[in-house]
Amino acid sequence: MIDQKDTCETRIRFKFYKKDEFKYLSHLDIIRIIVRALSRAELEIKYSRGYNPKPKINFSPPTPLGIVSLAEYADVLLDGGIEENEFKKKVNLKLKPQMQITEAKKIMIKTDSLMNDIAISLYGFKLCTPSSGKNLLEEFYADIEGDLRAKSDFSRSIFDLKIISDKENSDIILLKLSGYAKIFKEENNEFFKFNNFYIFFGDWLKKYRINIESVEKEELFVVRENALKTPMEVI
Amino acid sequence: MNKIKKLDFDLLEKLLKDIEKPGRYINNEVGARSKSPEPASDFYNLISMALVFPDIYEVGMSNLGLQILYDIVNKHRDFTVERVFSPWIDFEEKLREQNVKIFSLENRIFLDCFDLIGFTVQHELLYTNILNILDLGGININSRHRRDKFPLVCAGGPAIVNPQPLSRFMDFFVVGDGEEVIISILERVKIYKCSSKDKEWFLKEISRLDGIYIPGFYKFHYFLDGSIESIKPGRKVRKAIVEDLNKFEIVQNPIIPNIKPVHDRFAVEIMRGCGRGCRFCQAGIIYRPVRKREVESLIRQSAAGIKNTGYDEISFLSLSSSDYSEIEHLLDKITSSLKSKRLSISLPSMRLDSFNLNLAELIQSGRKTGLTFAPEAGSQRMRDIINKNIKENEIIDCIKVAFSRGWEKIKLYFMIGLPFENDEDISQIVELIEKVIMTAEDGLSRKKLPRLKINISINAFCPKPFTPFQWVAQDNTASLDSKFNYILKNVPKRYINISWTDSRKSIIECALSRGNELVGEVIEGAWKSGARFDNWTDFFKFHVWEKEFRKAGLDISFFTTRGFADDEILPWDVIDIGVSKKFLLREYDRSKRYLRDQDKI
Ligand code: SF4
Repeated sequence: MIDQKDTCETRIRFKFYKKDEFKYLSHLDIIRIIVRALSRAELEIKYSRGYNPKPKINFSPPTPLGIVSLAEYADVLLDGGIEENEFKKKVNLKLKPQMQITEAKKIMIKTDSLMNDIAISLYGFKLCTPSSGKNLLEEFYADIEGDLRAKSDFSRSIFDLKIISDKENSDIILLKLSGYAKIFKEENNEFFKFNNFYIFFGDWLKKYRINIESVEKEELFVVRENALKTPMEVI
Repeated sequence: MNKIKKLDFDLLEKLLKDIEKPGRYINNEVGARSKSPEPASDFYNLISMALVFPDIYEVGMSNLGLQILYDIVNKHRDFTVERVFSPWIDFEEKLREQNVKIFSLENRIFLDCFDLIGFTVQHELLYTNILNILDLGGININSRHRRDKFPLVCAGGPAIVNPQPLSRFMDFFVVGDGEEVIISILERVKIYKCSSKDKEWFLKEISRLDGIYIPGFYKFHYFLDGSIESIKPGRKVRKAIVEDLNKFEIVQNPIIPNIKPVHDRFAVEIMRGCGRGCRFCQAGIIYRPVRKREVESLIRQSAAGIKNTGYDEISFLSLSSSDYSEIEHLLDKITSSLKSKRLSISLPSMRLDSFNLNLAELIQSGRKTGLTFAPEAGSQRMRDIINKNIKENEIIDCIKVAFSRGWEKIKLYFMIGLPFENDEDISQIVELIEKVIMTAEDGLSRKKLPRLKINISINAFCPKPFTPFQWVAQDNTASLDSKFNYILKNVPKRYINISWTDSRKSIIECALSRGNELVGEVIEGAWKSGARFDNWTDFFKFHVWEKEFRKAGLDISFFTTRGFADDEILPWDVIDIGVSKKFLLREYDRSKRYLRDQDKI
């Protein structure tokens, strides 16, 4: 009997991380590494037609060089059928431990490209002060919040700013920042860049003698009916 | 025993801050292997080698020789090899500023902790990078000041066939094919390490191997004019040769760089050596004899390599790929066995005269990569002088085939400053380019014509050791520049992109490649004055070199624009490259009589 699946194609969305040494790789490097890993796993990516055929794979917006990301996404169109778990297992065998797929899911509905669809990136990082600076941090938070909401353009790209204290060390707090990319994008025709955060917050950070550490891209979100969803939830 | 010191990841992170392309320094590529030198008891029995490529990561990782040696040494139970590349300027600054020694990629071991440091040198203009790396490793650059048993420092590769300019920096040189001799050397390093024998003993021990030149064992005496009176002892070092390439499988699990290297493809050597005998060509002599890989195993191993790596391009390397007798069979088999994959094939050194329709068809099945041809000279007279055995109508016919098969991009190589060159030879370069354009205009459809791209690369001829032209006087910069300007002015502008290497760079390249041991002082001086990456036009500083030659009391023209006498003792006469001086001299004489040699293959 002919296996039906062999003649069909499979659209898969997968989520992967880049960490440790691999955070120093650029977006283009990561694309090349993933495409080659798929090829080593003997999964065939479909190509577009035309003079200059392109592989049908697209990625979520770039994460800055040097920043860990737990939320890189890609959509790929494969020749033939494959189960999600099988896909994940096969490809992970061909990838280094610094970059692994954490989730894979078939895409069942029509979707926009990740690049267009992603509205918000959530970054997590630690703010550290040199000495017992709990109050200092609270002052800092009050200060920026006021300023942010009041007068900066940047405020529109801040979706949420949460402070969570680190359990072990009260001098360190965890600040969550989400870039509200949609608005930002309309204005500057540019995606939310983490560097903009540095530029914008630089003075405050200096003023309160605060260091940023362990920056991580934690998750990406799309907007569906005024609610935030992860890219995996909407396919 | 030396304690192995490593750089920890936290410190690496600190160093990588604000560094351009940090991916150069992070290791962990697919295919990278390392034997952890821990625990220490294991390490005592493990001989560690640093394989150093004195250029940046992207260039070094495109070098097949590096991948071959890496594979061979790491496969051996008793040995381990790790990679070191030239840090880019910004990373060097960081290392110096933070006082951190240069380290290997795999285990981030500091360079001075290795037993053996081996440089693979592809080009003379990288000599200063070698000194820079040693210095960054906290190692004295001068061999005679390195009194400790370890690290041992050596160099191999095509740019050390004349070892003299680097002789003061190296404990020994490896001339010829590295595959077998590297293991012989490491076996002796192992004995040396586990004994109380001194360095002298070790050097004597390896001097018996083919390909090993030990500068400390030779003495040069000079005439007043600077030429060599005698070399003692007279014993020559015979180049190391791997008789049968098939003894070593091709590297099927190469390191796949994480960041984009210069050549991002699966590379396979199908043949070593070239029997064409172009008289200017050093590679054609130093890689002799011609040895080829057996085609069926080549097909099998290439297919395995493509599968293992996931590359979408395979490149069949040799000095003259289309001279490989079963080339069509090879290409045919590779394309059909990997039909479903989108594989493109490249043959970087295709010869015009054996280019044919079939070959064109086979290569075309992949992505449309450009074609490269090297007519080298414009006139038939000059092609006869240099023994580039090809006629103009053959060139045009081949290009016609290429265009009719749909290529739109070709690259043509020419040389200027060749021996016995006259104005006519130069103007005929322009004429040949014009004819190529006309051929293209005829052959390409109207739709395709606007996409036509012809890249012309003009290089200054640089007489190299072990070629029939090794005695020839190099053309001077003024003459080279005016010849180039003539071509630039007269060549049609449309479709053409023309590139030219700075003639002053060629002068220094020539002085370094034909230099004697005294030139070592110049290299050291230039490095101290900041010379690095001299092969990069942006960094090349002619005035620094000029000044250092002067300071060393040497005249650049002595090594460049001076014709060497037939009976002169040459600095590289200590090496027996496998081709006699008599043969080279006879070839040189023939060229003077514009005799065209018969094709030898
Ligand atoms: S064909 Fe001529 S130029 Fe090319 S490698 Fe052979 S000898 Fe050298």
